Amino acid sequence: MNYFIDLVIVGLSLGMIYGLVAIGISLIYSGLDVVHFAHGEIYMLGAYIGLMIYNTFHLPLPLVLVGSMVLTGLVGVAIERVFYRRILRGGGGYTVSGMAMVICGFGMSIVLQNVAFLIWGPRAMPFPVTYGMPVELGTITLPAAYVWIVVAALLLMAALHLFLKKTRLGLAVRAVAGNKEIAYLMGINVPLTISVIFGVACALGAAAGVLVGPINYVQVLMGLGILIKAFAAAVIGGFGSLPGAVLGGLLVGVVESLGAGYLSGSYKDIYAFIMMIIVLMVRPAGLFGVLAKVKA
Amino acid sequence: MDVASMLVARDIVGGYGSVQILNGVSLKVARGQIVALLGGNGTGKSTLLKALSGLIKPWSGSIEFDGERIDGLRPDRIVRRGLVQVTQGKEAYPAMTVEENLLLGAHVKPERAVRARGLERAYGYFPILKERRRQQTGTLSGGQLQMLCIARGLMSEPKMMLLDEPSAALAPQVVLDIFRAISRICREGMTLLVVEQNVRMALLLAEYGYVIKDGVIHIEGAAEQMINDDAVRLSYLGGTVAGRDRKVAP
Repeated sequence: MNYFIDLVIVGLSLGMIYGLVAIGISLIYSGLDVVHFAHGEIYMLGAYIGLMIYNTFHLPLPLVLVGSMVLTGLVGVAIERVFYRRILRGGGGYTVSGMAMVICGFGMSIVLQNVAFLIWGPRAMPFPVTYGMPVELGTITLPAAYVWIVVAALLLMAALHLFLKKTRLGLAVRAVAGNKEIAYLMGINVPLTISVIFGVACALGAAAGVLVGPINYVQVLMGLGILIKAFAAAVIGGFGSLPGAVLGGLLVGVVESLGAGYLSGSYKDIYAFIMMIIVLMVRPAGLFGVLAKVKA
Repeated sequence: MDVASMLVARDIVGGYGSVQILNGVSLKVARGQIVALLGGNGTGKSTLLKALSGLIKPWSGSIEFDGERIDGLRPDRIVRRGLVQVTQGKEAYPAMTVEENLLLGAHVKPERAVRARGLERAYGYFPILKERRRQQTGTLSGGQLQMLCIARGLMSEPKMMLLDEPSAALAPQVVLDIFRAISRICREGMTLLVVEQNVRMALLLAEYGYVIKDGVIHIEGAAEQMINDDAVRLSYLGGTVAGRDRKVAP
């Protein structure tokens, strides 16, 4: 029984990481109408930037997390402004995206990998922070890393929820995600709001990277696996739905962890996709998704 | 410059892509008046509205609002100047609550007091919205949605509103309620341009009317005169509503 609980806890913390990245993918999808295939590299970049901040200033992890989120968010805004927006302007703006944007996302992913390779080199780097002593909850003892990952991710998700529900800018973000033309007629600066959406999505990806850093090495290719898992999470939850992205992330994490624990560890990457296929067979729109585009 | 006019459009030419829809539209809206813009489907009404609110850039011509050129400005800048387009009821955000939709209308007014005052004013015009303020907008009826969109337009305290077919797909009794509210909003100091297919209702509401056809203004005149104009001309206006009304009128 304890083994089962351990696996679930590990799965949940892993799932939170997937969820954070999946939220970013879903946010960008609902706000910009594009699937951002370079989001795994944003996660990687976030981890490296966090590591740099830590190595330079030796700040405590929460500050490293915030610092990396801010910087990576700004990098994301720059990428969106300089590259994506120009490409999409030719096609009539973000609503007519199509194939060019998908290819561009893949291209950006390769570019970012190589930039990271040039800056930080091919070697996996350790993130020399420890999360601290194991936490005891009743009869079970948990490694602190997993507990703190879950706590930090929950705090970030709660903050995002409050931002979207309670602030003027958050309301504008939801309006732009729902319908850009009407958002314009409300007096919303749509191009600026799109940058905000992209920046927030990248900041969440960076947070996932920094949280994972101390239990994993930071390396150039770390974004590949996470993109595919987060993508599966977003699809399972229903593309564009933020609660769906979180739930999908948790499901992927737990199923993967249980599968690795009870069936076979060497196939752990396929469990998520088997689940994705099953969910799509039963509910093609995903758990929280709607086929017709009614959002915001 | 024309101080009596709130909005002056001169020779607007425009369209989508390479398709030209507006072939030189000129119109004026005097301060504090309701002006009706009439026309059937595909005559260029909506395209003209989009040009006025900035969603498309006119290819040539000028638009002056409150004494300043606004053609070519981004839509959100035009809203900040005080010219707001009220969308059709179906274009409220269905997944937001009624109050969220209203607050969205006040996006350009961050001050808490202004937003609260706007809500109060909106609920004053349409008390039903206050009852439903916590409900999902998708659960409202067609008439309530239209009320919501008008109220949402008021939230930014504009100088002038452009109304896109406020009677579309509504029952006659509901249309009457909506038009009463519009006329009250005008009496309290608003300037309005109302785009309509419901010719007779619109001309009863407005002081001046324009008929647009094939992307140009075809007929214009004082609303009273237009109502009493001959049936042939009214049949331009798209048909059966006007025609039937003519037979009933003495």
